[in-house]
Amino acid sequence: MSRRALAWLIAGAVAATACYFLVARPPGPNAYLIFYLGTPAVAVAFLAAGLAAWLRWPGSRLGLLFSLVGYFTLLPALDYLDNPAGFTIGNAAVSLAGAALAHLGLAWPTGRLRSRFERGVVVAEYASAAGFSLLGMLVWDPAFSGCDASCPANLLLVYGSRPAWDAVNVLNAVVSAVLTVIVVVLIVRHWRSARGWSRQAMVPLVWVAVVIGAESAITNVTGLYRLPPLANLIFNGWAPLVSLLGPVLFVISTVRARTARGALGTAIVDLEPGAPPGRLRDTLARALGDSTLQLAFRDGNGFTDTSGLAVDPAQPDPGRAVVPLTGPQEAVLVYDAGLELEPQLIRLTVAAASMALEHSRLQAEVQAQLELVRASRARIVEAGDAERRRLERDLHDGAQQRLVTLTLALGMARSRVAGVDPELEALIEAAGKEAKEALTELRELARGIHPAVLTETGLAGAIQALVERSPAVVTITEVPRERFPAVIEATAYFVVSEALANVAKHARAGTAQVSIRRLPGRLAVRVSDDGAGGARPERGSGLAGLADRVASAGGVLRVDSPPGAGTRLEADIPCP
Amino acid sequence: MQPAASILIVDDHDGFRTFARGMLEADGFTVAEAATGAEAAETARSVRPGLVLLDIQLPDFDGFEVARRLAAQGGGSAQAGGPVIVLTSTRDASDYGGRIGSSPAAGFLPKDQLSGAALRRFLAASSPAGT
Repeated sequence: MSRRALAWLIAGAVAATACYFLVARPPGPNAYLIFYLGTPAVAVAFLAAGLAAWLRWPGSRLGLLFSLVGYFTLLPALDYLDNPAGFTIGNAAVSLAGAALAHLGLAWPTGRLRSRFERGVVVAEYASAAGFSLLGMLVWDPAFSGCDASCPANLLLVYGSRPAWDAVNVLNAVVSAVLTVIVVVLIVRHWRSARGWSRQAMVPLVWVAVVIGAESAITNVTGLYRLPPLANLIFNGWAPLVSLLGPVLFVISTVRARTARGALGTAIVDLEPGAPPGRLRDTLARALGDSTLQLAFRDGNGFTDTSGLAVDPAQPDPGRAVVPLTGPQEAVLVYDAGLELEPQLIRLTVAAASMALEHSRLQAEVQAQLELVRASRARIVEAGDAERRRLERDLHDGAQQRLVTLTLALGMARSRVAGVDPELEALIEAAGKEAKEALTELRELARGIHPAVLTETGLAGAIQALVERSPAVVTITEVPRERFPAVIEATAYFVVSEALANVAKHARAGTAQVSIRRLPGRLAVRVSDDGAGGARPERGSGLAGLADRVASAGGVLRVDSPPGAGTRLEADIPCP
Repeated sequence: MQPAASILIVDDHDGFRTFARGMLEADGFTVAEAATGAEAAETARSVRPGLVLLDIQLPDFDGFEVARRLAAQGGGSAQAGGPVIVLTSTRDASDYGGRIGSSPAAGFLPKDQLSGAALRRFLAASSPAGT
């Protein structure tokens, strides 16, 4: 809405209220202050709600309807004017505010009437409000209402007839009552058929409609009798207060939207990353206050929501609206169409949902990348193992074999010259010794590169060989005899081998225990000694490398080595 | 002194077979050769050697498997008329853990310690008269 239009609306409301106080006479001895102040209070409340509604829902008719109720409330005050025209118009307009209020109730919460029948009801409301007043005016002599000669003239008076006037009043009361009942029933039906956001929006209206309906019935009945002032106060004095419930509706709906906005903000913060889409939907639905909210994802040619229902974004069900989410996945939110009045809330919800999905996607991506890195690390280790196995085998098949042959040849050569040429014999013997030394060293080297015994016999044999070669007294409490995947065997082997090497090098330990236990889903390797302790898996140390090695197999290495209390090395290696 | 025994050398390495043959023949043994496990089984059937010097690392089956087959085809053991099987490798016996002990072979001889005397010790230990 433009500033100019807003200025006009404010000016109109202020002017109308000012006029009221200019023309209305303060209550005389027979009237009560509440009727004097109630009217402008109700009018000002509706005019203010109208302005605020116009600002909040520029595309909706609700602002207009609130304002209409406000102006129509002030209109009857024209009869204070000592002027026949004002007096006539004021009296004729006495029921219009009620009709506008019924219109507002039926159009709540979108501002649109829902059916042709309801439009008919609203037309009937306005027609009966204006029609019966005008009809009554034709036969109403102000004197009937105790108005003496000081009252201005009724310009519409054709023929003053008290029975006719009474008949018009009774008819008016009956038609008004029927229309009121119809309006209240329709509002209750709106509430019952509404879902989600709209249903929540209907709840306060149902209460307001029932109360205003009851008040209107009482006014109708008591209006047929001339009540003494006190009784009039008791039956009708609260009418202005009841009417104030209308603007309260607006306040409630505004507060509700604000609460939802706050709740959405909190939900965005609270939503744990990577939550499944179903949880995201639930959180948003709760925060937004629309239990019908659907979050649907592209699924082949169509869309499917988080509860598995097919959704067609191109043709939403009646009363539903669709908004696409931004982000990598093709997704939509389907929500109660009543929320169309709160585009800000929808934008906020879309932003929250998009952000959460993007967050989940990023997390999944990071997770996937981590998986890739893990897998590639495992492959690198595996490839390294395979390469070491190949090297060991190459040494065995190549250099070692040739050295063996050389040793045999030297042996034969020596036996040929035995007793013939002692010098040559000694030379050949020395050469043979050298060759054997080389062979031994090469064998140790090959074993260091990769223990053939591990490939040949598996963990049990390999650990046994390690223990036998260790200078410390090592007992094996448990080792499974079965074979495991090469990477797992090699990892467990290196844990024990590194631990025993440390025992020999640093621990000053006398004894050590080795146990490898086959547990469900894992292999638990444990080496403990009674040595000096104080081992620390710092970077670059053998233990740090070992921790990396265990981690690459998806396991964990724990080192427990308090100074002076021995060292315990434990590795958990996943094992199918 | 034993009569000259026949020996089957099973090894895929030509150089080793050549030198081992030279050495053992010089030592008075009759020598046959096989380069693979399958060949070893066949040759053992026709030659009926008194001792098989069996390399553990063979291109087709490993030495343990060949030893099992030889033992099965030779009547189960040296006592039942089968050959004395001596496993050999450039590796240590410890590199094979308990597999050597649980095979039907009479024992293990590191390749670089091969000599006629060493083989005679195996033959003596396995012959019914020698034990």
